[in-house]
Amino acid sequence: MATEDTTVGGLGEASDLRLKRLKGVLFEVGLVAATLVGILSLVVLFGYIAFDAVRPLTASTRWYLLYLGVLVAPTAAYTLYARREPAVREANARAFAVVLGALAASATVYVVAESVSPYDVLIYAAFGGVPPLAVAAYARVSGENAYTGPMIPVSILVGLAVGGLAYPVVRPSVGVLAAWIAYVGFVTVPVAALLGAFVTDRRTLRDGAAAAAVVFGGALAVAAGGIVTGVDTGVDPSLWVVLFSTGVVPVASVAGWTIRRTPEGRVGLLGPVVVIGGVLLGATLERQLGVDGLDAYLTPTLLLQSWDGLNASNAGVYPQVVGSIVVVGFMTVIAFPIGIGAAIYLEEYAPESGWRGRLASLLEVNISNLAGVPSVVYGLLGLALFRNALGFGTGVVIAASGTLGLLILPIVVVSAQEAIRSVPDSLRQASYGVGASRWQTLRNVVLPDAVPGILTGTILALARAIGETAPLVIVAVATTTYSPPTGLFSSATALPLQIFAAHSNARPSFRHGVVPAAGVVLLTLMLLMNATAIVLRNRYQSER
Amino acid sequence: MSTEPERGGETLQRHGFVVRKERLYGRLIALSALLTILVTVGIVLALSGRALTFWSEVSPIAFFTGTQWSPIINGSYGVLPLVSGTLIVTVGSAVIALPTGLAAAIYLSEYASSRVRSFLKPALEILAGVPTVIYGYMALVYITPLIDAVLPISVPLVPAGVPVLPEFALVVPSLRTFNALSASIVVGIMIIPMVSSISEDALSAVPDSLRAAGYGLGSTKFDVSTRIVTPAATSGIVASYVLALSRAIGETMAVTMAMGMSPRMPRVPNVLRNLSESGQTMTAAMVQIAGADSLGGITYEAMFALGMTLFVITLTMNVLAELVRRRFREAYE
Repeated sequence: MATEDTTVGGLGEASDLRLKRLKGVLFEVGLVAATLVGILSLVVLFGYIAFDAVRPLTASTRWYLLYLGVLVAPTAAYTLYARREPAVREANARAFAVVLGALAASATVYVVAESVSPYDVLIYAAFGGVPPLAVAAYARVSGENAYTGPMIPVSILVGLAVGGLAYPVVRPSVGVLAAWIAYVGFVTVPVAALLGAFVTDRRTLRDGAAAAAVVFGGALAVAAGGIVTGVDTGVDPSLWVVLFSTGVVPVASVAGWTIRRTPEGRVGLLGPVVVIGGVLLGATLERQLGVDGLDAYLTPTLLLQSWDGLNASNAGVYPQVVGSIVVVGFMTVIAFPIGIGAAIYLEEYAPESGWRGRLASLLEVNISNLAGVPSVVYGLLGLALFRNALGFGTGVVIAASGTLGLLILPIVVVSAQEAIRSVPDSLRQASYGVGASRWQTLRNVVLPDAVPGILTGTILALARAIGETAPLVIVAVATTTYSPPTGLFSSATALPLQIFAAHSNARPSFRHGVVPAAGVVLLTLMLLMNATAIVLRNRYQSER
Repeated sequence: MSTEPERGGETLQRHGFVVRKERLYGRLIALSALLTILVTVGIVLALSGRALTFWSEVSPIAFFTGTQWSPIINGSYGVLPLVSGTLIVTVGSAVIALPTGLAAAIYLSEYASSRVRSFLKPALEILAGVPTVIYGYMALVYITPLIDAVLPISVPLVPAGVPVLPEFALVVPSLRTFNALSASIVVGIMIIPMVSSISEDALSAVPDSLRAAGYGLGSTKFDVSTRIVTPAATSGIVASYVLALSRAIGETMAVTMAMGMSPRMPRVPNVLRNLSESGQTMTAAMVQIAGADSLGGITYEAMFALGMTLFVITLTMNVLAELVRRRFREAYE
């Protein structure tokens, strides 16, 4: 009897256990499914958009075989090879980062300067850049560095103000220069100076001067070559100057530095060569052999032309991309210093108690509430502030940038606060211990340690800003424009606005063509920014 | 710096300078912190000024109880159809995002290895980072036709043959080009990370001793997760829900593009019809007013009144979330 009971009970317990285990497994499967459902549906939707933008079915099998041969197979083989050595992997990652970064920087500098006018950029760069350099040089020579810190930003502001006043006088005489000389002035000279300073720091002044001279001479030579060949090809020599100064020079410097420092990793530098070489070779062969390639909507035309609402093969988003870069860039200039300042105050200066302590906690609450305010409401604020109160024109760059700046301010503050908070207190104590003041501690100890975290947060905020549409619609930025902004007070434009404007275009070549392609451009910008931020964060966390 | 007696004066002078410089920097930094308060003040002033002008022309009672929103055609400014549009999208997206987000949070906090977590968390964050205009486009151009391919579905609530009004059969009719369903789906997807990340923080903050106690009593992982950790983190989860709903209420581009611009009152009793038809949210109405060129005067001010309403609703929800979180947080510390 007793044994029977236990058997029955044991069986019951066993099946009960099995049931429990089944329940646990089902629960976990459900959780995994719930975690993945959002991500997977987004991946599927991205797939639809990419499919419409690229149209992979339009290419022939030979085209795929061609690129499999010249691009995919070599890249895969190289990756398998490069994975094994940590030094090679490291060099490879650095090479890709510098090549992509340099290309992006060159493209940005060129298109923005082209739309704003290189002469204006040169004038303001000279007026804003020379005074702080003069202050720094004076401080170095005289040894009097007490005032240098505050004087540098003041001198920049004064320089820019003087530049604004002198602009009508200077502009005509600067305008007689060839455009490429202006580019040499504000691109090559700083790059040469930076490289020179960098080399001087590590080697001797002579080497530094030689490096700077090589950069400068190289830019002149490239410009001369560009003028000669430009007659035939029609390519602006300025483009070559920019490509050389912000593209070739950084890539060559990093490559040289890598070979010198880690010779065992130098194979890693071949990574970008394999990929870019594969693409170029593939494109050449495609034309030579007459292979039927992709009939995609994501083409150079899309990036170089302005919008055409009737003819899909002629429609592009060049003005919108430039507009997005200009608006977001200027927004960074506005929001970044204020956001970091507020974060520093809340983390380092604000006392815990007293009326100031209460003020600080009010600020904290206020910032977290601002982060929850819908973006349309910021649009209304921008409208009231920039158009009604300050009287700026409708939909100008400064209003768009200012509105987006207010919108991302809380995000910048919160992420900068987190970065500053994660700096260990022992570092601060050590700095105070050797007699540093609060500001000196902040400048020399806390901020350098917090910079990667702050940068991560800022890039994420920029990625958010580049996709924002609603506030721009509310501040009445024109949804369709045919030229990029030419200055702070000219009409703004942005890529997401064009997508919004074109979403009701029912022609198949737009609905399942150009608009998804523009979406791919926007998503690529946003994902690249996010990826940069994540890579930065992971590197920074693993260093800790 | 120097301790030589003849240079003492200079050192003192320098010290005085450093103190002054410190004070200057401190003030500058405090100023930038105060600017963030000015943003709030600016929002309140900007909204209330115009909104009060509007409410002096159109009585607030008419605004908040009116059932017709048609500012351009016959100048009627009843906000209820817009509120109902916002409500439909909010409820629809909540049905998708709240359970999914909580499940994701439980998985990330209780089940996932740190390797899986380091990969899944940024991937989930991307959901919130995708531009909403892209979400709107995907809803309009891809999701709606996809769903429409399987509709209409009819689920009779009463056995066949019983003569009833068609309203009492649960019919999911075919979708309009602009519809609330696809808008709800994309808004739901984009607020998942809001729920999952804040809930996960709350779940991870539950002390391990509670979990250990649960296991000590012979509980399974399922029991510990659902009966101990989740209830212990209720305040954070509720806060995350409220914040996510507030985000859904303020969402603009996706609902404007996917749900359309035709304000209407909710349909009862066949509630599913609300999802298949177009509608207009408060935010979409604001976009419509801003996008119409030659509108001046009262309609333009109506936009600010809508903004004020929206601001008050979302602010209340955010404050509520913060209160819930604060009030019930201390319990485990």
